[in-house]
Amino acid sequence: MINIQGLTILFESFKITDLNINIEEGEFHFLLGPTGSGKTLILESIMGLRKPHKGRIWIGEKEVQNLPPEQREISYVPQDLALFPHLRVKENVLYGIRARNLNLKLYEKYIDDLIEVMRIGHLLERYPVNLSGGEKKRVALLRALGPKPKLLLLDEPLSGLDLSIKTEIQHLLKTLHSSFRPTTLCVTHDFEEAYFLGDGITICIDGRVEQVGRRNDVFRRPKSRKVAQFLGAKNLYKAKVLGREDSLQRVILGVNGLQFYIPKSLSQETLELGTEVHLFIRPEEVMIIREGKPVKDSLKQNIFEGKILDTIDRGRYHMVYFETTEGKIRFEISIPNYAFRNLHLSIGKTVKAALREESLWVIP
Amino acid sequence: MNFRYTMIGAALCIFIFYLGLILSLFYFVGGKGFWEALANPYTLFSIRLSLIAATIATCFAVIIGLPSAYALSRFEFPGKRILDTFLEIPIIMSPIALGASFLVFFNTPLGEFIQNKGIFFVFEVPGIILAQFASIAGLATRLMKASLDEISPRYEAVARSLGSSPWKAFCGITLPLSFKGLLASVVLSWAKAVGEFGATVTLAGAMPGKTETVPIAVFTAIASAKIEKAIVLILILVAFGLLTLYAIRLTGKRYRYD
Repeated sequence: MINIQGLTILFESFKITDLNINIEEGEFHFLLGPTGSGKTLILESIMGLRKPHKGRIWIGEKEVQNLPPEQREISYVPQDLALFPHLRVKENVLYGIRARNLNLKLYEKYIDDLIEVMRIGHLLERYPVNLSGGEKKRVALLRALGPKPKLLLLDEPLSGLDLSIKTEIQHLLKTLHSSFRPTTLCVTHDFEEAYFLGDGITICIDGRVEQVGRRNDVFRRPKSRKVAQFLGAKNLYKAKVLGREDSLQRVILGVNGLQFYIPKSLSQETLELGTEVHLFIRPEEVMIIREGKPVKDSLKQNIFEGKILDTIDRGRYHMVYFETTEGKIRFEISIPNYAFRNLHLSIGKTVKAALREESLWVIP
Repeated sequence: MNFRYTMIGAALCIFIFYLGLILSLFYFVGGKGFWEALANPYTLFSIRLSLIAATIATCFAVIIGLPSAYALSRFEFPGKRILDTFLEIPIIMSPIALGASFLVFFNTPLGEFIQNKGIFFVFEVPGIILAQFASIAGLATRLMKASLDEISPRYEAVARSLGSSPWKAFCGITLPLSFKGLLASVVLSWAKAVGEFGATVTLAGAMPGKTETVPIAVFTAIASAKIEKAIVLILILVAFGLLTLYAIRLTGKRYRYD
């Protein structure tokens, strides 16, 4: 178990205050934050390359913040990989075992397994300069895992790769993690990456932890506007609590004169009458209702009529820009391509949109 | 005028300028005095002295310069900028002034103490080494720093995380990666030491058979109108110079690393 407590780093214009991260053994944990938020500084501090202003770091029972990097048993894969160019792939891979004077015999089977999972058996005699981008990533990962570190640090492992290689490495990381379960902390700015691979996610914005949680919690239930915006939340509106229906376990929110019925469970806080909050509508959970089709009871609460202002073909889905007739609230709805065609949606058409419970979330 | 040809023409001018200068020396080659000068024991002595002194001075410059270069390249510490600026002192200061400063220093109580305790510098061979060291240490450090700067500190970071001590990471990773650049720096510094004149002559004097290096011998030969002897010595210096350049060319071929 990795425990980082109160890590504070002041460096040039960066200020990271009171960072706390807990990582369970075998967990793939993500530190997610916008580009330029000092994530690499955090990694360097955890590794011991940079002395943090304050903070304590435990690796299991061992407190390591005063130890030099070589005694922390933390492996590091930097963004640029830094494969040793003068050493063959094999020597790169065994570097950690040799540097720590470990008994190579005891690691042979493990390394062979890793080589097999990584499919780099045919590359062992090559120099890094003769490897492709994806192969370099695989070798760098293997080199880091070689000495069985207590913690694996990954700095933006999927950045700068072509889409096809990115997908390949992403799946490889998943396989690798499920087979060997290294405790991993990965920093990235890419939420999809974190969502695909991560067990737990810590969101760090402007040098502060904004939210910690399981990936679904973070994605579906952002705690603050900052987090929602960072996660690319599109439809975010100022709202006011207009009424409480305690018997029905729901509240009524008003946005621009339009009323939304919100189950209480969709807010982290009790919503007192008159409180100002933000309503977040998830674009991929909104349904456009087919004309003449019966509507399920569960959808009936929040159905709005409106006009389609614009549609954009995003390749994998369509983005529909919708404006309610009453209240003139605009929101984006993303619709799968087949549904888009079946619904015969076009600019100017009047349709009804149903906001399912899953599409709504209330943020302070 | 064509842009490309103008630029290349300028480059050719420099080449012809230096080549002409060297070729003009051969106008006097082959006379009786020429061969006599070449076989002269004093000439052979100054060649040997130049090579040995320059090699020792270069060794000292590397021993102190390499760690300094590393410190300047990798660490932040108070006074770093000032230290970095001071490396240029020997370039800014006239070599004569540098040598004269040593003479002054060895007349201070500390300087006298050092000389009285065994090592004589003034008008002695150690003075040559000291003068050459003084004029190349800054340059050697600067050049080696440039070579180390080219190697990303990330390599060492990774090596440290994999369990290497800072020494091991330096010797096993950074040193081999920057080796060619470091070697070129050393060779260039050595060549500069061989050619050093001003500081050497001021501190160690110009005694044939004792402290007369090749550049000093050139000066005394010209001063006493022994043109042929001067030319022999100049050609020897040119030969050293060209060999050095060739050596740097050889080391200049970098591994196909990144």
